[in-house]
Amino acid sequence: MPRLLATQSHVVHGYVGNKAATFPLQCLGWDVDCCNSVQFSNHTGYGMERVFGNITNQNDLDALLNGVFANFATDYDALLSGYLPNKESVNCMGQHYSKFKEKNKKLLWLMDPVMGDEGQLYVNEDVIPEYQKLTFSSNGLVDIITPNQYELEILYGKKISSKEELKQSLEELHKTVPVIVVTSCSSELFDDKGHIYCVASIKGEAPLVYRIPYIDTYFTGVGDLFSALLLDRIIKLYQDETATLKFADQIDDIINVLQRVLKMTKYYSKENIKSKMGSVIGMKDMELRIVESRDLYHTVPIINSKFPIDFPKKKYLYKEL
Amino acid sequence: MIDDTRQILSIQSHVVHGYVGNKAATFPLQYRGWNVDSLNTVQFSNHPGYGSFTGFRDDKENLYKIIDSGLINGLNIKYNAIITGYLPSVDSLQSISRLVNDLCIKEQIPWILDPVLGDNGKLYVDMECVTIYKDILSTCQVYLTVPNQFEMETLTGMKIKDMDTLKRSFQNFHRSYPGVKRVIVSSIDFSMDHSQSTDCDTYTVAFAESPNFDQFQYFTVEKIQAHFNGSGDLFSALLVDMLFPVVEQSVTSTLASAVGKALNLTHQILNKTYRLTVKSVETHPPSETETVPHIKDLKLIQCAELLRIRTEDIDIRYPLSQVK
Repeated sequence: MPRLLATQSHVVHGYVGNKAATFPLQCLGWDVDCCNSVQFSNHTGYGMERVFGNITNQNDLDALLNGVFANFATDYDALLSGYLPNKESVNCMGQHYSKFKEKNKKLLWLMDPVMGDEGQLYVNEDVIPEYQKLTFSSNGLVDIITPNQYELEILYGKKISSKEELKQSLEELHKTVPVIVVTSCSSELFDDKGHIYCVASIKGEAPLVYRIPYIDTYFTGVGDLFSALLLDRIIKLYQDETATLKFADQIDDIINVLQRVLKMTKYYSKENIKSKMGSVIGMKDMELRIVESRDLYHTVPIINSKFPIDFPKKKYLYKEL
Repeated sequence: MIDDTRQILSIQSHVVHGYVGNKAATFPLQYRGWNVDSLNTVQFSNHPGYGSFTGFRDDKENLYKIIDSGLINGLNIKYNAIITGYLPSVDSLQSISRLVNDLCIKEQIPWILDPVLGDNGKLYVDMECVTIYKDILSTCQVYLTVPNQFEMETLTGMKIKDMDTLKRSFQNFHRSYPGVKRVIVSSIDFSMDHSQSTDCDTYTVAFAESPNFDQFQYFTVEKIQAHFNGSGDLFSALLVDMLFPVVEQSVTSTLASAVGKALNLTHQILNKTYRLTVKSVETHPPSETETVPHIKDLKLIQCAELLRIRTEDIDIRYPLSQVK
């Protein structure tokens, strides 16, 4: 069985960070060792006044990762890093992961450089150079990154306002990172407010654009689920000796899974989700239905024909960038 | 597909690697259709059975606020059950137990309390925690508690050597802790205190329900010749699932049937874990202090197919006896 170490946030209620990543990966056969960078009652989308809990301080995180790598040095096939609350914790994760990756070149490291979205930083500015250092490490330690467009701009150091600039930024990052998936691009870039655009790029091939219908709601944790599934599908791609799997199809497969989970989430949500922003009850109803989606994470889902909704497979690949 | 989900608050330890505490309970419960709100009382690299570990404990105020200000008063979450396990300090044990007790009474939530004190004759908490657990059990409303043999002995102040002492132990328990409605004593080994007798190849799982603590029932279960970490935490989690099915069964779900089914599923998982592990265990023969292989990690992920079995399709395969 493959095993990965995932360092990101933990919420007691709801599904973001490790809570969004762990169960789907477990359903896909992974032993998931979760190292929690924070423990909060719920995610911050409920409003900061409703979030209780602690961040794991630098010393505790350092000791924890020391213990894990000392006792289980040969156990990991992959590393995942997601939300870390401050500069010190990014630095601490970075040092441990880098050291481990240097000794185990074969394992894959997916780094989600969680810094902000749509022009807004939700970490301190001093986190930025830490992620830049890891992204542009001359040893090429990070294998996969999953920034949104804003985070890509931060890493790249420049605003991206055209497809050409997007292409250039990917080329720049590919000097050190083999797989880059920009999980959501701004609608201006593609001049289309009705869809979400995702750009996936593997070094040496033309970047691919995926077009996903824009669901007029706000779900938290989709990005974390995306990263988890991406790690699974990229490992499968790299381990596929018969070379029947294709990068383009793997990304399409992930988007199909996400659409199924969102459909399941909407099915269980009692009313029109659009009206639910801001109210606690509404937010609770918008938590991803990670558990109910148990049978939807594989490429071929297990679907009970009696279930009142269906999950047709669709093609989301739009064109080359 | 999952019929419908239930919601549980699980207050236990967390380990990065391996499956004990919340890590042993969460995946099986989720796979069986529970949204598990896991509140971690500690975060360790691994369980102490590995010899060394690192990590930290969460402080009492923090845990208290997450439950009281966050989950209950902030989000107003309605739980179908609350399970509490390892709490790392006298302080947190006291304050979290009081909070859970008040909440469970007010909202009529079944509280499943695992009195984590120790195992195999050894305490792994402060002596003061024993006093506090006694105090909690004697004053709180507990739906179910799941002590192991050592914990039952510690809580009732007497050794369990045979059916007779087990019966007296249940009676003592009920007298001291009348607010506890159900007790399940997992893995009672009658051979432990008979130095001359050969090793017994079965163990006993005994349980009683208020008000009939004199008439306890027990299953006799064949032993697997290995020591597993996390098996008790897995059993408690599965028990919760069997006790609170999604839909009211046409056949009344009794405590005996819940225990029998949870035991069956636990054993299938332990057997599979044993089969998957035993080869690597054989290359590391048990040390002199260990007489049976020590299996440090349950193979829960590999047992996903077993966890898929519906409760109504699980047999009760161990003989059930009743003591009058």
